[in-house]
Amino acid sequence: MNELIPLMVIVPLMAALIISAFSRFNTVTKIFAFVVAICLPIIPLASNYGLHYFGGYAPMLDNVTSVMYHPAITYSFTFLQQIFIAMIGLLTFLVVFIYLTKYKKISGPYLFLLFLGTAAVTAMLLTDDIFHMFVFFEILALAQVGIVAASSIDYSYEMALKYMILGSIGSPIMLLGIGFLLALTGSVNITDIVAAVHNGLVDATSPVFLTSLGLIFFGWLYASGLPPFHTIKSGIYSKAEPHGAALLQSFTVISMISIVLIMYRIYSALPIFEVLVVFFSILAMILGVSLALTQTDFRRMIGFLAVGELGFIGLGIGLGTQYAITAGLFQALNEIIITALLFIGFGAIVNATNEVDTRKLGGLLAYHPKVSLMLLIGGLAMAGVPPLSGFQSKLMLVQASLSCGFPEISILAIMVSIATFVVFVKTFYAMFLRPKPNDLELEGKSVPKSMIFAMGVLLIIIVLLGIFPDVVTSGISNFVGGIL
Amino acid sequence: MAQTQLAILFTSIALVVIGLYSAIFIDNIIKKIIGISFIEEGANLFIVAIGYKAGGVVPILMPGMDTSWFAANAAYPLPFGLVLTSIVIGASTLAVMLALVMVLYKRYGTLSTKVMLADTSKQEEYNE
Amino acid sequence: MKLYDQIFDVVKQFRKLFSPGPVTNADVSGSITAEIFLIVSLVLSAILLRHVSVLLAGLVTLILAIVLISNIPLIPKFKIEQEDSLEKMLFYAVVTLSIIVVFMYWGGNLV
Repeated sequence: MNELIPLMVIVPLMAALIISAFSRFNTVTKIFAFVVAICLPIIPLASNYGLHYFGGYAPMLDNVTSVMYHPAITYSFTFLQQIFIAMIGLLTFLVVFIYLTKYKKISGPYLFLLFLGTAAVTAMLLTDDIFHMFVFFEILALAQVGIVAASSIDYSYEMALKYMILGSIGSPIMLLGIGFLLALTGSVNITDIVAAVHNGLVDATSPVFLTSLGLIFFGWLYASGLPPFHTIKSGIYSKAEPHGAALLQSFTVISMISIVLIMYRIYSALPIFEVLVVFFSILAMILGVSLALTQTDFRRMIGFLAVGELGFIGLGIGLGTQYAITAGLFQALNEIIITALLFIGFGAIVNATNEVDTRKLGGLLAYHPKVSLMLLIGGLAMAGVPPLSGFQSKLMLVQASLSCGFPEISILAIMVSIATFVVFVKTFYAMFLRPKPNDLELEGKSVPKSMIFAMGVLLIIIVLLGIFPDVVTSGISNFVGGIL
Repeated sequence: MAQTQLAILFTSIALVVIGLYSAIFIDNIIKKIIGISFIEEGANLFIVAIGYKAGGVVPILMPGMDTSWFAANAAYPLPFGLVLTSIVIGASTLAVMLALVMVLYKRYGTLSTKVMLADTSKQEEYNE
Repeated sequence: MKLYDQIFDVVKQFRKLFSPGPVTNADVSGSITAEIFLIVSLVLSAILLRHVSVLLAGLVTLILAIVLISNIPLIPKFKIEQEDSLEKMLFYAVVTLSIIVVFMYWGGNLV
């Protein structure tokens, strides 16, 4: 049933518009949002793999040059898209569920932003058209800014405006790069561009082609929050509501991998591409983790850790072998789940204490044992402790970099994992284990049940992926073999 | 007529460079946003220039036109379609940015970037 | 003796990093870990240059190690450069953009 492929984008998009228009009817909107949120992970799982041509314009064969042209916007749906869209759908469901149970009177515009962001990342993953990707990338940026500005945390407007101003440098630069590619190839369909590059219609060593890589690469840095954008990315995570931050980081990861896979398909013939990706990934790992070690606001700390972990994904893509890219994509999947768990868990603590400074917290283990236990396991998974899912993907990455002949990168990856572990142990000690400060009020405040439910679901996935990684990695490996 | 296209390309690059200059050196937030939107306009202008064809016709196939003559003389329509989308996105981004600036102006009473968009920890000291 | 004093001063300088507010043991040890992690990881990534030239890698690693160790504490300086004021973020973004574009246009084929 290939009709389900466009529905993955249309359902959240239409739901966003309908909810925003009819948010006056509180109960009906709540039920509608809940039903749509349940549908989101089910649609990709029920759909068959295949291609969808919008408008029904099938590819045309040019009889003179015997090259296929794709006149329609094409959506391609394979195992990779299925697993990531299902995961983002599940996460959206959990976040919407937390939001619906937390507030009696819901806000239509906020749900609009959540669904709009989900629709945008889904389209970015599915599309085979570079300009279509750019359009949804801009829509995603607007949704992210809205989610940050809607939060009740101090200075969220300032952070949203900063993100927007940086975005209005990053996105047009990326558009300029797409313009360069359009000028060289006359097409915005990625398959056509790749064919033109591989058939020698485009001179791969020409400065214009190289500059287009530089410009799109800069846009990718902005999308994924690698340096120099690591401060703003961690900033917007820390200024959004916790469940919003859980969704924001998954948007970042998905936009990162969807853009880098497009760049990989077009530019993989150039050795400089892999050098650039590895350089910025290593920089992100070093800066992210070393700044996370010095933070006292634990939301900001998780934000920096999330940016540092993105370096692992980039490392896998940059090494460029089938095994390494599989490891990078598997790490991306794990990071979406683990970081969402950490954001929701620490958000539960903020909910219960109204305090974000680790220096003023302590002794929470006795008050919130369930949350602290699940957070501990999530943190261990992020640091790469067996048998959790983070361990499997990091082990794959270390093996991949060893077999590529870069033992330094393996050592660096292990060191970053250890430093992540240190960050986590330090924070866990400060918040949960040491004696409670006298001026900390904890009585009568509880953690919402929906947050514990969401954490439990994510935790089960972490453990299952850690024990049976082959379920995902074999499918991803097949996909990577297809684009190599 | 290649000079026309070249002139457009130089203009678009100049717009991008002016935008990047204003991003760093202008303090007033409204002027900064105007400057930054130049980058967007530069990128749009560049893409329009790609579709330019000296002596070309509007890419609409009218009844009675010879198809091969049309294919040889029509301008390339794809860039125009793309730029139309891109302008709409740029306008909505600009609107959201200016709305946020309005809120922040009411809070701080100034348009200086150094005051209203400084480091968060310093702002906390400033407010205390 | 001078280096020894400098290493001891590091802990004192961390106090400024966490002001306003108290400084706990965990924060200081975290900052020292960050300091060591930063030096070691930067030196380690400099070794990657050996794929270009072994001599260059040796020189860069030695110089980097000496410069970094003689400039401790690095973390306060790093943190000032990476605060979330719009000016600094825009400056680094535009500088990175110009470096990438200039490097790609003239030197993209060298690697």
